[in-house]
Amino acid sequence: MKATRFLILALLVWSLAPLTWQLYTSFCIDQALVTPFASLNQRWTLDHYQSVLNSNPPFIRYLLNSLFVGGLSTFLTLLLAIPSSYSLSKMGRRSSLVIKFFLIGCALFPYVLLFLALLEIARYLQLGNSLIALAVPYAALSQPLAILLLTNAFSDLPAELEDAARVEGLSVVQRFRWILLPLISPAIASTAILVFLFSWNEYPIALTWISDSGKLTLPVAMARIAGSSIHSVPYGPYAAATVIGSIPLILLVMVFQKPIVSGLTTGAVKG
Amino acid sequence: MPLLILLIPSLLFLVAVFALPLFRYTWLSFHADSVMTGLVAIPNQGANWQRFIHDTRYLQDLFQTLRFSVVSVTAEIVLGLVIALILHQPMRKRALIRSSALIPWALPTTVMALGWRWIFNTPYGPIDRLTQSWLGQSLNALGEPSIAWITTVYADIWKTTPFVALILLAGLQTIPSDLYEAAKLEGAGSWICLRRITIPLLLPYLGLALMFRLAQAFGVFDLVQVMTGGGPASSTESIALYAYWNALRFLDFGYSATIMIGSFVILSSLILITWLVVTTARNRSQQSLAR
Repeated sequence: MKATRFLILALLVWSLAPLTWQLYTSFCIDQALVTPFASLNQRWTLDHYQSVLNSNPPFIRYLLNSLFVGGLSTFLTLLLAIPSSYSLSKMGRRSSLVIKFFLIGCALFPYVLLFLALLEIARYLQLGNSLIALAVPYAALSQPLAILLLTNAFSDLPAELEDAARVEGLSVVQRFRWILLPLISPAIASTAILVFLFSWNEYPIALTWISDSGKLTLPVAMARIAGSSIHSVPYGPYAAATVIGSIPLILLVMVFQKPIVSGLTTGAVKG
Repeated sequence: MPLLILLIPSLLFLVAVFALPLFRYTWLSFHADSVMTGLVAIPNQGANWQRFIHDTRYLQDLFQTLRFSVVSVTAEIVLGLVIALILHQPMRKRALIRSSALIPWALPTTVMALGWRWIFNTPYGPIDRLTQSWLGQSLNALGEPSIAWITTVYADIWKTTPFVALILLAGLQTIPSDLYEAAKLEGAGSWICLRRITIPLLLPYLGLALMFRLAQAFGVFDLVQVMTGGGPASSTESIALYAYWNALRFLDFGYSATIMIGSFVILSSLILITWLVVTTARNRSQQSLAR
């Protein structure tokens, strides 16, 4: 029992120590970072946060952009994936297996390699610098995972349930609205949160599509901060930015731990 | 067939995002399309492929990408198994501990890549200070070509091990506990239980995690671009980063497309080989279990 406790502690240190260090750095004055053991009259400061929050455009802007793209792509993904998975769950074994293999192949594909063609499409259709347009490739890239997860949920429902509803005279839309969707809502929640995480974190496509500094998503904004100055090292503001950038996701993981875990694990068990 | 109609929108999107680019790249790879041609595609009789085969920088990047993938995925599987075994134990505050273990995976790669640059900074970062006071010399973890790639491997392990651990945890939960009880009655210790029960029954999950992680690690981009920019001396440059430079820095779309198709073929064969190895291992272990 003691050994387990020690291992858990080690696990927590391993996962949280780097973030704790960033937290510490973000509150230290520059002098304290360079000479940590010198005795200083004043060690702590909020300057780094002020400089990050008051920059132009303000940092909050990037969070809002990411929130917008994440929300929109989650909505689009579900809109496309729910009908698809319903029909996939009703299909014959063989044809559904072929489609599932295709989906797994897509999910395995390192999508970074797609950035050039997607960039060409964006240029051709003049979709660059549009956060709404950015949600379209995100929704498309999320289809494999979303369809696989939701198909499993639909397949787990007993077929008699829908038959009974049909006998009662409910239309397809009514059956969806009142019976099927409520029953698979846990799977929808898992899918939504995983897709949201993907869109929130996505980097290469956002990097190539968005150049307007007011429209950057959080990951690209962070990378820009990193690229802006290699020689002078504003690590205090960096750290403040990583802390502010991490808080929404830490909250998200704390609140939605259950759907995230069940989404990943049912994906593993049945995929 | 109204059922099929429901599937069509999703499939169209998938084709547009996955299949069209591959066709486009294949077509582009037989054309010169760069600043030299004024960004107009002109057929060039396989000159891109000639260049690709003799490209020593690509070869070096391929070697770097493979060593990055193999080392980090191996470590992630081992460490992920350990973490899954820990998280599988009954414990208090389980939800809180699981969430904390998940945080590294949920954060955007670029956010922590920036953090790692500070943590491994020479000479002011905490790691460098530790080596200075213990070993008497600076580690220079991001400036020394022979070490920098290991630093990026470390950052990748930190970020993606929770994902592997969760998949393996799902596998652990499918193993019936009476198997362990029966083995214990026959006097098997925990090491024997791990080798004879846990790992054989976990093989499908290990295989799944292995394939997913290999494919993702092969396409590593965000981490390297922000953490090292491919340096020092291109020692951490991955294939995806090289393709990115070619497209957006050297503005040579034709060659960038060639790199991507070439890498796609290499990756597909790697995944196929891994899949074959994993399925044979699985079948063999099932046969020995049945006996």
